[in-house]
Amino acid sequence: MNLGELAAIFIGVALVNNLVLSGFLGICPFLGVSRKVDMAFGMGCAVTFVITVSGVVTWAIVHGPLNWVGNAVFGDPNSLAFLKYVTFIMVIASMVQLVEMYLKKFFPSLYTAFGVFLPLITTNCAILGACLYIDMKEETQHLLNAAVYAFGGGLGFTMAITIMAGIREHIRFSDVPKPLRGAGITLLVAGMLAMAFTGFTGIGK
Amino acid sequence: MADGNGSNFDQFAAGVFSNNPVLVQLLGMCPTLAVTNSVENALVMGAAVTFVVVMSNLITSLLRNLIQPHVRILIFTLTIATFVTIADMALRAYMFDVSKKLGAFVPLIIVNCIIICRAEVVAIKCSVSRSLADAFGMGLGFTMALTILGIVREILGAGTLLKQPVLPAAFVENGHNWVIMILPPGAFLTLGVVVGVVNHLRSRKATGGVA
Repeated sequence: MNLGELAAIFIGVALVNNLVLSGFLGICPFLGVSRKVDMAFGMGCAVTFVITVSGVVTWAIVHGPLNWVGNAVFGDPNSLAFLKYVTFIMVIASMVQLVEMYLKKFFPSLYTAFGVFLPLITTNCAILGACLYIDMKEETQHLLNAAVYAFGGGLGFTMAITIMAGIREHIRFSDVPKPLRGAGITLLVAGMLAMAFTGFTGIGK
Repeated sequence: MADGNGSNFDQFAAGVFSNNPVLVQLLGMCPTLAVTNSVENALVMGAAVTFVVVMSNLITSLLRNLIQPHVRILIFTLTIATFVTIADMALRAYMFDVSKKLGAFVPLIIVNCIIICRAEVVAIKCSVSRSLADAFGMGLGFTMALTILGIVREILGAGTLLKQPVLPAAFVENGHNWVIMILPPGAFLTLGVVVGVVNHLRSRKATGGVA
């Protein structure tokens, strides 16, 4: 667990295997909340926070209680693996609830601006996806690596959604063919962004 | 259309065509983009989602008079997570290769918005038979959309269909296959074009075929 390894994980998840553009996670907010740059950035920050905390907490639950109880009761640390998905989604849902309560109390204006999208972070697949990848990958079996992976994933999401919002603010002034307006052109632009991001292939690992 | 008028068959047909979850409502985008690089993956994913949406609608509809409004989302999520775990274990037991290719996208069915949306919009208020009709319609509509994408991407990207070569061998051997279609950008581009075509067809239908 050295600095180089952490940097490789960070660049890997934020740029090379960007959760949105090459992992296809979090597409719903990527298409739904990317109309304005400030909203997109706020959404990105909320997701980054939830992803980091949930990533660390789910890592701790899998390596802590689930392993111990599995080992003590059934003699195999993996015997409770079937509980993972249910645990993950419960942790994420409670984290989102926490963020919601915090924002409501301290940043009421931001809270109203987010509206229905805040509770919807629960069903943002980028978060559950990051937790699942942390659980599956070899290199994220250390706590610090897992935390860096989750944080990098959140930043990569923020970057992708903010770039998208910047482009969409300009698309409003262009003459897009009628059937492609809205989702169609957004997906085509996302395709081109993804193509640009394939240029990072080979950096890190 | 989705809110309880018409027969059960109308509800079913709406899910497949006029209210297609992927191509019209734009829900469940992540698996749609991620697993459609071959038709086989698309079909297995479609089957898994259909199973989960049918079971979740069935359970929700049976319990609809017992569920308190403020805990409903929690109940939906736990129901869905349970059936996704079952589907994941079944796939791993009987179709290990495909399950490996789908990877994290099988557990990610838990956060597929289509399923929670059907529980919230239909199953919590409607009878069991209507909820089931709706679930089968949505499942079939989802599978159909994935298969369309899978066909386009597999033919252009690998020159095959369900692993059987369909394009002339020279297409692949000389490196004319569009590798980009199997890579992530191809998914976005194909779905963008397909959504555009569907929008065009719908607007033509709405104006009676004039536009």
